[in-house]
Amino acid sequence: MTVRTRYFVIVSLLVIVVGLGTGLVAYYVGFPTSAFFSRGGPEELRYLPGSASVIAYADVREVMASELRQRFRKSLAPDAQENGQREFRNLTGINIETDIERVVACFDSTVDGSTPGAGLVLARGTFDEGKIEALMREHGARVESYKNKRLIVGDHFIPPLPGIQNNDANDPTLKPQLVPPQNSNSFSLAFIETGLVALGSNGLVQHAIDLHAGGGGSAATNEELVSQIRTLEGGNVWAVGRMDVLRARAKLPDIVANQLPPITWFSVRGRIDGGLQAVLSAEASDDESAKNLRDVVRGFLALAKLQTSSKPEFQRFVQSLELSGTGRTVSLAVEVPSQVFDALGAIASPPRPRPQP
Amino acid sequence: MLLGLLVGAPVILAGAVRLFAATNRLPVINGAGLSGPTLFGILIWLLFVRFIVPVLGVFYGTALIADEVDDKTVTYLFTRPVRRASILLGKYFAYLACVVLLVLPSVVLVYFLVVPIGGSVGQSFPSLAADLGMLAIGLAAYGAVFAFVGARLKRPLIVGLVFAFGWESTVLLIPGYLKRLSVAYYLQALVPHAMPQDSTLNVLLQAFQDQPSVPASLIYLSVIIGAALWLAGRAVEGREYVLEQ
Repeated sequence: MTVRTRYFVIVSLLVIVVGLGTGLVAYYVGFPTSAFFSRGGPEELRYLPGSASVIAYADVREVMASELRQRFRKSLAPDAQENGQREFRNLTGINIETDIERVVACFDSTVDGSTPGAGLVLARGTFDEGKIEALMREHGARVESYKNKRLIVGDHFIPPLPGIQNNDANDPTLKPQLVPPQNSNSFSLAFIETGLVALGSNGLVQHAIDLHAGGGGSAATNEELVSQIRTLEGGNVWAVGRMDVLRARAKLPDIVANQLPPITWFSVRGRIDGGLQAVLSAEASDDESAKNLRDVVRGFLALAKLQTSSKPEFQRFVQSLELSGTGRTVSLAVEVPSQVFDALGAIASPPRPRPQP
Repeated sequence: MLLGLLVGAPVILAGAVRLFAATNRLPVINGAGLSGPTLFGILIWLLFVRFIVPVLGVFYGTALIADEVDDKTVTYLFTRPVRRASILLGKYFAYLACVVLLVLPSVVLVYFLVVPIGGSVGQSFPSLAADLGMLAIGLAAYGAVFAFVGARLKRPLIVGLVFAFGWESTVLLIPGYLKRLSVAYYLQALVPHAMPQDSTLNVLLQAFQDQPSVPASLIYLSVIIGAALWLAGRAVEGREYVLEQ
């Protein structure tokens, strides 16, 4: 064997072995393509329950700084938005534009049949803990201690919304409403660590504190969920969930439930920058169901194209809809350029009356 | 040169696709979008299985004995105290080792360039492993068949090209049992790649719906390899190679 032949054999074998080894590792462990997704999603997944039916994420800072958001801000009632944001900042000390870095939310429908599902929102950013606590105590919340964390619990409590003046005693409709005591999940808020606030049902907030204190089974250790989240890399907003669990929880009548497609996982990944690019994906229970679902979606797409044939402002949007997917997966990609939002805004905003001479 | 072109072109093409996908969206065929794994399947099927593997089999399988005859060196080969069939078998395994070490790394490189486009390297790994196995078996099968053609016939290259690009392509489209007399019929059954639904290519592939099972395909391919090598061995043992002056 000549030297050249030997090198050729060695290099070829190396490429094959390294390639197969990398693929094998990626198959069993997962192949990180970015540091953020090296764990399979944001780090806040560690504080979400492993039984969560739906998980959503938004990179608030990136969305707020996006060109689309800035255009919305300037075109749709800018003064009202400014006032609302100012009021919210005065109440909570939070500047929505800059203080909130990202938000991760979950909905856990796997509680017992007598109680509705529970939700939890984790927000990472810069918060004035004292001001937020004072605001909640002002509206009837109480402070408890749970595993060395301050838990602010509001039984039968709906927090005030921006625009509501709570010192207006003459208008009872503007006062914080009392929730009838049919929901046993109290609303709670806790600062799990510096810069991370958890708010939602009391049970889930306590569970998040438990996970922060001692680890354990969480959404981050749910391999099936994490593998779904890994496919959503690249989006600054996304959501993923189990449709079959939600459907079972909803206890729909058989006649309705049988009409729904047999979808297990669903996900939405969006990227908001100059426009909106989104991909909606659904995983069916088998190939045949996925094929039928693709046929149904294809029919709707054809109908949409027919309906918008005379509306050029929506034609580009409809034409951007792309159906794809193989096997058990059905995906629908859409690209909404900023011009579509301008057109929607023009439709929504009434024309200004011309000043009379 | 030919080898470099055959194994380098898919890698260059994959690199070009990757560059294109980085800045543009992949094309849509009849409303069905392409993703990396789908594109990989198309490249494997159209480039490797339908072209590269048969071409390598034709040129290097027929050359096992035919080149020795053309170069008038077959005499020196057959005067060795070694059975002629063993010589053929040794050359066949050398051919197999060379082409496998050429084609499989090319496939691996194409995989890592193309699949990450809208797909997952980990999730698609089983299809890579299956494709590598299928291509190795294809190279072995075509090599054995064309080794027999090279050992038996006077103008093996022409016959080989007609078989690889005439018979193999045509017989798959003819309904009935004729397609069972081709290597591609059993090869395609090993890895039926998922294609974009309702795409033009999928319409063409509807012709391939009558496929044997994977175990049956493996058995038939093994029989083809064994039978072809046995017939090639018998041909070199019994034939007198008259060297043209």
